[in-house]
Amino acid sequence: MLDLRVPTGYFFAIVGLILLAVGVFAPEQRAALSDASVNLYCGGVMLAFGAFMLTLSRISKQ
Amino acid sequence: MKLAVVDYLILAVYFGFVLGIGWHLRKKISTSEDFLTSGHSVPVWITSLAFLAANLGAQELVGMSGSGAKYGIMTAHFYWVGAVPAMIFVGLFMMPFYWGSRARSVPEYLKMRFDEKTRALNALAFAGMTIFSSGISMYALGLLLRLILGWSFTTSVLCSAAIVLAYTFLGGLTSAIYNEVLQFFLIVMGFSPLAIMAVMKAGGWGGMASRLQTMTLPGGINGDVMTHSWKYMAHTNQNPMGIEVFGLVAGLGFVMSFGYWCTDFLVIQRAMAANSMSASRRTPVIAALPKMMMPFIVIVPGIAALALSKMAVGYVMPMKNGGPDYDQVLTTLMAQFYPAGMLGVGLTGLMASFMSGMAGNVTAFNTVFTYDLYQTHIRPGQPDKHYLTVGRITTVVGVALSIGTAYLAQQFNSINDMLQLVFSFVNAPLFGTFLLGMFWKRTSGHGAFFGLLSGTAAAALTHGLTTAEGKGGWIASVHEFPSSMAQNFWIAILAWTTCFLVTILVSLVTKPRPESELRGLVYGLTELKHDEGVSWYKRPVPLAIAIAALALFLNFWFA
Repeated sequence: MLDLRVPTGYFFAIVGLILLAVGVFAPEQRAALSDASVNLYCGGVMLAFGAFMLTLSRISKQ
Repeated sequence: MKLAVVDYLILAVYFGFVLGIGWHLRKKISTSEDFLTSGHSVPVWITSLAFLAANLGAQELVGMSGSGAKYGIMTAHFYWVGAVPAMIFVGLFMMPFYWGSRARSVPEYLKMRFDEKTRALNALAFAGMTIFSSGISMYALGLLLRLILGWSFTTSVLCSAAIVLAYTFLGGLTSAIYNEVLQFFLIVMGFSPLAIMAVMKAGGWGGMASRLQTMTLPGGINGDVMTHSWKYMAHTNQNPMGIEVFGLVAGLGFVMSFGYWCTDFLVIQRAMAANSMSASRRTPVIAALPKMMMPFIVIVPGIAALALSKMAVGYVMPMKNGGPDYDQVLTTLMAQFYPAGMLGVGLTGLMASFMSGMAGNVTAFNTVFTYDLYQTHIRPGQPDKHYLTVGRITTVVGVALSIGTAYLAQQFNSINDMLQLVFSFVNAPLFGTFLLGMFWKRTSGHGAFFGLLSGTAAAALTHGLTTAEGKGGWIASVHEFPSSMAQNFWIAILAWTTCFLVTILVSLVTKPRPESELRGLVYGLTELKHDEGVSWYKRPVPLAIAIAALALFLNFWFA
């Protein structure tokens, strides 16, 4: 059976990287009501979540 | 709202993964049970999140944030009162019979426990209902995308339908369940930053509460009600929902919520797919944990939106026909708080929620149609291969019918309301039947069948004799409710009571089934295995106690 943690992990890692890239290379992208660098923070969290899922799957395989 | 290239890129990545999961799982399908029931093989954390996500459909994200702006934290009653207790109950007390009987669907359980006519009644009503809700889901998606992105209704409807069809056709229930879990994570990741930012901007929970206290809501109600879930529940005229404690607890907390979470095959199907009895019992219990946290993601942003609209920060409540347009609260917040990039994630999350609702309905529909209608009434006794093919064809037909319903809903708005009403009449008494069926071995098939019919009739009669917000009262108006929500709660209460009493009366005068036929189906005739020797969080009961305590705490904290 497919280990769902693998596609979940890759998906959030990819989306996290995309957001991080936008946050780093286009920091002028801001929403009307927020001064925070939303893309950078959210991208970081998603990348970390993706890595966590992939690590879990690695550990259970061993 | 305008999308950037990066937003489309994120949407494309998501669709790629969804289809990829379906493609990967296609090889696992060799029997009709693999396709329609996942062959009891899914790990418990996956069934739990799917149990939650299948219900986390279109109307939830958009509707609940709107209700947050309209009713405040009282909306959380739909979670802390109207879901968590029922989810714990179904896990502890009903899954042993659903899973233990090895029934492939809820209607099939009714056949095993009662008789063919009770099954047919439930299967037909359920099949109609799932097609209808999946169509409504699609219709809502089409409307929303046209409104915020200017996409054409037809393109939105056909594209989302094609993707849902592709992954459910390829990988069946397993694929739908796996994707629901991915969708759940995406919804959480996509919307919790919005809740955090909106609340922070509005001055935190305390700042929001003090700001709302200075407001007067329609009906002369003080805005303090927005941040209290129980304080203003003593009388219907104290809160914007127009409900009081008894109507809420008995109507929503008992009849409606138990009727949905304990009998609706859409969610039960996920728990039935679990890989052991203990896992199937833990599925709804574990799902109750994220369920009780959902208000913070879906309702709180709506409350923050109302507070923000009273501050000079530049957020304006969306309006329609002179009144607030609550359905647009979520999307306007997204547009104001998310830059290109995160906006794509939020929008993908929104589409994911529509699709998980749709896929949930389609996979429940094809199982009930194939096993409970086709295999039973149309062509019994065929080799399994035949039913696998029928299951696949039914998936296509189900999606096609949903598209038809979406267009029908677009053409005739009143048909929606009417059908939704009819289904609520059918649903309201169901829990009475299951409660008696599972816990009283004397309950007979005739009792169940006529109990259900009379419960539905009682629901229709109550609606015909009462009015609320100009609705109902098509026979005469003997009572007027302060809100249609209160009316719905009371319709449910009366329907359930009627079904419960009629089932008992008819059962007492008809012949019960012999006890030997009821093993594994009724409490007292079923051996319950105790899971000694495993850690507490792997046992349903201690887990349920911990989760119930947490739900109780939330009720007190936000009282």
